[in-house]
Order: sequence, then C-alpha cells, then structure tokens
Amino acid sequence: MTVRTRSTTAVRATPGRRAGARGISRRAAAVAFLSPSMAVIGVFVAVPIALTFWISLHDWSMYTPLSEMSWRGLGNYQDLLASQEFFTALRNTVIYVLLVLVVTIPLALALGMLLYFPKNAGKGVARAALFSTYVVPTVAIAIVWGALYAPDYGPIAQAFDAVGLDAPAWLSDPGTALVSLVVFHVWQMIGYYTILVIAGLTQIPIDLYEAARIDGAGFWRQTVSVTLPLLRRTTTFIVLIAIINAIQVFDPVYILTQGGPAESTTVLSFAIQRSAFQYGLAGQASAMAFSLLLVLVAVAGVVLAAMRRRS
Amino acid sequence: MRITGVISLGAALALTLTACGGSGDTGNDGGKQTISFLTHWGPEQVTALKAAASEFQKKNPGVTVDVRAVPFANLLSTLRTQGASPGGPTIAGIYDLWLPELVRDGLAAPAPATAAADLKANWPANLVDGITKQGAARGYPNEVDLYALNYNKKLFAEAGIAAPPKTWDELVSAAAKLTKRDGDKVTQQGFGVITSWPAGVVHPWLSLVGSNGGALLDGSTPKLDDPKVLAAAELYARLVKEGSTQPSMSNANANTTGPYLDNFVNGKTGMIIMANWWQSALKEAMGDKYGDVAVAPLPVGPGGTASAPVSYSWLTVVNGKATTAKQDAAWKFLAFLNGPESGKNGSSAMADILMSMGILPSRTSDLTAHKSDLSDPFIAAYVAELPNAKPFPAVLGGEAMSQAVQKHIENVVFGKETAQEAMAAAQKEVADILTKAGA
Repeated sequence: MTVRTRSTTAVRATPGRRAGARGISRRAAAVAFLSPSMAVIGVFVAVPIALTFWISLHDWSMYTPLSEMSWRGLGNYQDLLASQEFFTALRNTVIYVLLVLVVTIPLALALGMLLYFPKNAGKGVARAALFSTYVVPTVAIAIVWGALYAPDYGPIAQAFDAVGLDAPAWLSDPGTALVSLVVFHVWQMIGYYTILVIAGLTQIPIDLYEAARIDGAGFWRQTVSVTLPLLRRTTTFIVLIAIINAIQVFDPVYILTQGGPAESTTVLSFAIQRSAFQYGLAGQASAMAFSLLLVLVAVAGVVLAAMRRRS
Repeated sequence: MRITGVISLGAALALTLTACGGSGDTGNDGGKQTISFLTHWGPEQVTALKAAASEFQKKNPGVTVDVRAVPFANLLSTLRTQGASPGGPTIAGIYDLWLPELVRDGLAAPAPATAAADLKANWPANLVDGITKQGAARGYPNEVDLYALNYNKKLFAEAGIAAPPKTWDELVSAAAKLTKRDGDKVTQQGFGVITSWPAGVVHPWLSLVGSNGGALLDGSTPKLDDPKVLAAAELYARLVKEGSTQPSMSNANANTTGPYLDNFVNGKTGMIIMANWWQSALKEAMGDKYGDVAVAPLPVGPGGTASAPVSYSWLTVVNGKATTAKQDAAWKFLAFLNGPESGKNGSSAMADILMSMGILPSRTSDLTAHKSDLSDPFIAAYVAELPNAKPFPAVLGGEAMSQAVQKHIENVVFGKETAQEAMAAAQKEVADILTKAGA
C-alpha cells in the first residue's frame, strides 16, 4: 500500500507541479494584465470613496491639511438624521428621480421603436438630432433654458400667452421649479436613452417578428410579447443609468436655481456641494456623499434583484 | 459617484498641492519671489490689475505678480481647494463674511506693522475694525457695498407719486399704486424682492430690519424673534398678500441676474432694494432708460429712527500659509496697489479698478480723488447713506446662517410659512448653526 501510494504520488507529482506552475504563471499573468486597470480604479474610485468615508468621520473646513482634521466619529451621520435640510434634499431627490423615470423610460422606449422599425430615410437625421442634446455641455444649455423659462417675457411663457393660457412661473415658483428641472433633464438625456433602446432593438432576431406575424400578431401584440420582454436587459440598464444620472443632477440646479426658490430644488448633490464649499463643513458633506453612495448601491441592488427575479 | 469624487478630488488636490508646493521660485527669504493674486473680477478689471502689477514689478524687480481670475461662483471653492497649499494664491480678494473662517484656519495673515499703520492712517476706523480679527488687521479693505431703495421715476410719475417713500406705510401705499393688473394677472409689481440668491434675499430684508431698529445678531446671539425683526417679515408677507410684490418676478440665477433684474430694467418693477454695485448692470441693460432710475434712502419702519442699510465689504488678504518672503512681497504689493501712487490723479489703482465697476472705494484719499465720479446721482445717494450703514455680521458660520435666514424669508414670500413661523424657525436654526460653528 505504502509503495503503491508512493508510486501513485510519484506518478502524479509531475503533472501536479506542472499544473501548479501553470496556475502560478496564469495568476501572475492575470495580475500583470489587471494591475494597470485595477491601479486606475483604485486611485480614482476606491481611494476617493475611502477618503470620503474617512473625512465624514471628522470636522474639516478644507482650508487646512487633512492631517489637521478633528475627529468626530459618527457625529456627522447623527447630525444628518436630525437635519431637516438633509431630508428636504433627500425628498426632492427622490421626487426628481421618480419623475425622471416615469417620463424617460416610456418615452425612450417609444422613440426608440419609432426610430427603429419604420423604413424612413430621415431616421438617421432624427437620431442625430435627438442625440445632439446629450452632447452639448449642460452649462451652456442650462443658461439657454434659463432664458426660455423666464416668467411672462420668456419664449415659453409667450407661447402659452399666444394660445390664451396662463404660463406657470417655471423656475420662479416652488411648486413648478423641480418639475421644470425634470423637463430640462428629460430633454437633455432622452436622446442618449433612445439610442440605448435602438441598440437593444438591433439585438432582437428579426425571425421572431416574422414568426409572430405568421401567428397573426399585430404591432401591439409584437410589442408586448416580443419587443418589451427581449428588451428587458436593455431596459434594466437604462433604468439604472437613469436613476444614477438623476440622483447626481447638479449643474442645472447650481446654474438655474441655486436650490431655490424656498429650497424646492435643493437636491442631495447641491446640498453636498453647499455644505462642503460654501459652509466649509466637508465632514458633513462627506457624510451626505457617503450616505448617497450607500443609497445608490442599495437601489442598484434592488433593481438588479427585481429584474433577475422576473427573468 | 460624482459628488464623492468631487469632494475627494478636492481633498486630494489640496494634498497634492500641499506636497508639491508648486511655486517656480525659491520661496525662501531673499530670493526672487512669485506671488499670485486670486480675484473674481472680469476681464477689463483683470487687465487693469495686471497693469498695476507690471508697474509694481518695474519698481520691485525681485517680485513677480501672477494674476489668477475665477468666476465669482468659484472663488470660495478655489480658496478651499488651493488655499492651504504653499502654491495656492498668495493674495486673495474675499467677501468679509468669509474672513472669520480664514482667520481661524490661519489663511488670513495678520498685517505687519507697516500695513497696520497704513490702514490706521488712511482708512475709516469702522472699516478697519471690520477686518480686525484676533487683535490684528487681516488685509486691506477694498470695496464697500450698501443698500438703498432703487425706484423707477417714470413709473412713479405715471402712478402720480411725487416722492420716494420715507416710511413703511408710504412704501406699502406706493407699492399698491405702482402695481398694475390685467384681469387677475399682475403685469407690473410695485415692490420687487429677490429669491434664490442668499445675499440678494437677506441683505435687502435685513436693511429693512435695521431701518426698523432691529438687528440680526446681538454679538453671536440671534435676534430673529425680536418684534422689530418680525415686523420686516410681516411687511414682506403683507406686500405679497396685497399683490404689490410678485414672487414669480423675484428669481435670481447663479450669475446674480435673472427675472428680478429683467423686471426692474424692463419697467415691470417700481421699486427694489439693491446695492450700489449693480449700477453697471443697470446701465448696460437699460441703455437710455437708465435715466429713469433713482435712488433713495430706505423707508424707515415704525420702530426705527433712520434708514440703516446693510453694508458689506471685500478685502484683500495675504495667505498665512505662504512663506514669510512671499507674505512680505504680498503686503508690499498690496500697499502699492492701495496707495495713492499706483493710480491716476492721486487715486490708488485699486480705486480706479473699483470705480470702473461703479463700486465705492474705501481709502479716504480715494474718495477725494474720485469726488467727481462719486457725485453721480446714483452713487452719491449711496455715499450719503454710508454713515448710517450697519455691517452684515461676519461671524463663524456666517454663510450657513445667511442661507438659513434666506430659506425662511423665501418661505414667507412664497406663502409656505407665516412671518411668525418663519422667524421662530430661523431663530432656532441660526442659534444651532452659530453654536456648532463656535461663533
């Protein structure tokens, strides 16, 4: 037994060493190939997140070196839970995200199908025009929208007036300011989401539509039973990206409303910027930013889990 | 995580700059010095500042002045991300509300004896007091801004109003006469307020509070529950309720322009309380119609005895984190820039730059040198109010305090809170903010 065992071990030893050597070599290669990208991710993602968390445990005005921060522990997080400003910003952010999702997703799906299925010559031009709003810098466009939204004398108000309607005060009214920013967001981003939908549609085999037609399915039946189910992965991706983009909205708020009027457009990203750079409360701002990160991770997890369950 | 990144990147940037230093010169005492001047001025003023720097460099060959300009909205964030670094700005033009924090964190160096003597001899004592913290002057006061009632003479004439209101009752009455309606819709408001801009909301309102004998703080204790303060909030609520003030015409954007300005320049607002610096904006926007604009002291409330507008100032500070040699060079440049030999006809270059924007300079000899410019009716009305002005309290946590008050005044304007509720809530919030800030 002993001999045979030894013999077996001896016989297997060589391939095992080879396999081990090959494994080490593969690991080394993996490390070598992954290192650059992991280093970039580490420096630009992991370190900033860790640093933000570390700052959130301190009081810091940003005027002094990090080494002079004062330790606060979880005090900044406790302050957030008692902060009306934080919850106002959180509520505004949630409303903003929900409005964006409710409008954007159906609209992007509809526009995507309109620009994919019909055999029209102008489709390319229409797609380019739709996408162009996404390419223009937000700062420049936000200023233009500020002029468009001007109450009474702005072009949109004039158009309402021309048809005998009273125009809302848009950005000048707490009741409509956030919705006005949503309209701007949808206008700017819809082209991007539509292109994503079109990309998803190109992945659906044309045979399925032919089969559905042979079975007597009309346009709506094909949409409900073929298009939408097979676009689920694309839709999941768009929902996630739309949530993330909406949660991070900052430029138009900063340029057009500064969080007002009466805090009606103070979203989390603006509240974070204001705490850090205007109030000099970088610890509190970092606590908000880190909380936002956790919320985003949780939302992404829930969306992905829900979609996976449905699949 | 864009925001997480922004904050961390700011921190990383501060660390990197701190580590690198970033200066091209020796930075040591005795060597050639390069100092930087951070400002939010526009291109025309930056050109004038560069010209003054060139003159200074001719007289001081060992010093180079590098002018860096950023938009107003980015000035504070630039200071926060670069201020602590030796390679950060050596000199910065700052809003006086930011000074306490800069002093606490060592970024606003105390003026050396020569600069302190210069300040004592050539600036009004109340302005020097305003920039004196922890027993030392912290820079050179530059511009002074204060508030007054701006009104449209043409609209006043159309409404049959002979003179600007002197009391709150007259203000309410004039505002009602100036308000025009087309059915239910107000097409011209009598009295305009500003929203979505902290200083634009708080300073005019606080000027009315002061003119009613009230104040925002007593030392570091908020006084928002004082009946004299509450009365100013009730005045706003009344004007809105009567339709003389239209909240929808009040919005400002990040550039401190927007509907509130457009409505005044287009003759849709009869009266508004604003600071002297917007003269250039009015001239540019109104063209020939600028002649319709007139300025008057603030209407006095029932609890007050005289107009008491809020004033604030901008000053230039020297970075306390810079090397001693750089700090010395910076103070020398500031003495030159604010001295009577750097400008025209006995004015300082600083005053020439400020007057090009319609802003009041603060050096006593500059007021004399620009006497003819200051006799312009618009500016002269503000100059006349200078003795009555009450500086906005520059305390630790001042910016957060200001924005808390802004929120509640806007709540009154938009009918989300009564004046009583707003002031009670603001009192509590401001007290918390100041306690937390250690004011």
